[in-house]
Amino acid sequence: MGAHHEPPAELSTRVKAIESLLIERGYFAAEALDKIVQIHEHELGPRNGAKVVARAWADQDYKKWLLTDATAAIADMGYSGAQGEDMVVVENTPDVHNLVVCTLCSCYPWPTLGLPPTWYKAPPYRARAVIDPRGVMKEFGLDVPEDVEVRVWDSNAELRYLVMPMRPAGTEGFSEEELANLVTRDSMIGVAVALSPSAV
Amino acid sequence: MPTITPEQIPDLVRKGASCRVDAALEPLFKTGDKIRALNINPATHTRLPRYIRGKEGVIDRDHGVFVFPDTQAEMKGAKPQHVYSVRFTAQELWGADAPQKDSLYIDLFEDYMEKT
Repeated sequence: MGAHHEPPAELSTRVKAIESLLIERGYFAAEALDKIVQIHEHELGPRNGAKVVARAWADQDYKKWLLTDATAAIADMGYSGAQGEDMVVVENTPDVHNLVVCTLCSCYPWPTLGLPPTWYKAPPYRARAVIDPRGVMKEFGLDVPEDVEVRVWDSNAELRYLVMPMRPAGTEGFSEEELANLVTRDSMIGVAVALSPSAV
Repeated sequence: MPTITPEQIPDLVRKGASCRVDAALEPLFKTGDKIRALNINPATHTRLPRYIRGKEGVIDRDHGVFVFPDTQAEMKGAKPQHVYSVRFTAQELWGADAPQKDSLYIDLFEDYMEKT
């Protein structure tokens, strides 16, 4: 996936043209667009999702709520809004590993994970995550054992997905803050597992 | 349409804009139902990816009622309907060489499916 860090120049040009039109025709004040970018670059990001996962690891009742009504449970922590209006959280277990992709575009839960990484939006990931999820995960350094069921979630429609990774061993007695440090963006997409305490 | 100002943005981002519709529509499918995705090939907008068309799956859960993007994008109305998470085995999608245990879940609108 390493060769796909920058969006194509043609796409950037098209986005700039749309931005100019939105401003020139009076739909948006230019500063309003800056504000959208500012919020997504500085206020939203995977630390939000990490706090959700850490709370679920630490609190069984919260975990149950998160897995049955993710939208409400995440709203309880204040991470609701655009591209997180309708949420589903899927749990990794010793028997099931979950992986999220949007094959049709780049649907992604912004309030909990921020903006998607470029590889998530790029055609190679979007095409291969569904037909060869194990091969893709291997490229990220994750070898899922054969006896574990891989579930791919194509978030092609209205729902947005967050993976709840397994709580690492050796974290008994950790505070929610310490637990959150082990939850990476990639582990909530499913291309990685949570960090072990010795890795932090 | 009035110009959107910077002051309005935090609230817009926080509230979002769900396409969920508050309508008590009878669902056509229920959890456990076996379905086949229709083999349709619209030239216009759709959220039914090509690799699912014609494939057989099982309804996993009902997410509730949402605006139908295919008609909405064409200015032909919201056509609200239930959206379901549908499970397809990897072997159904990719053939006998795919891992036997693996699966794919995708959210499908009622108009994309028929019972088998």
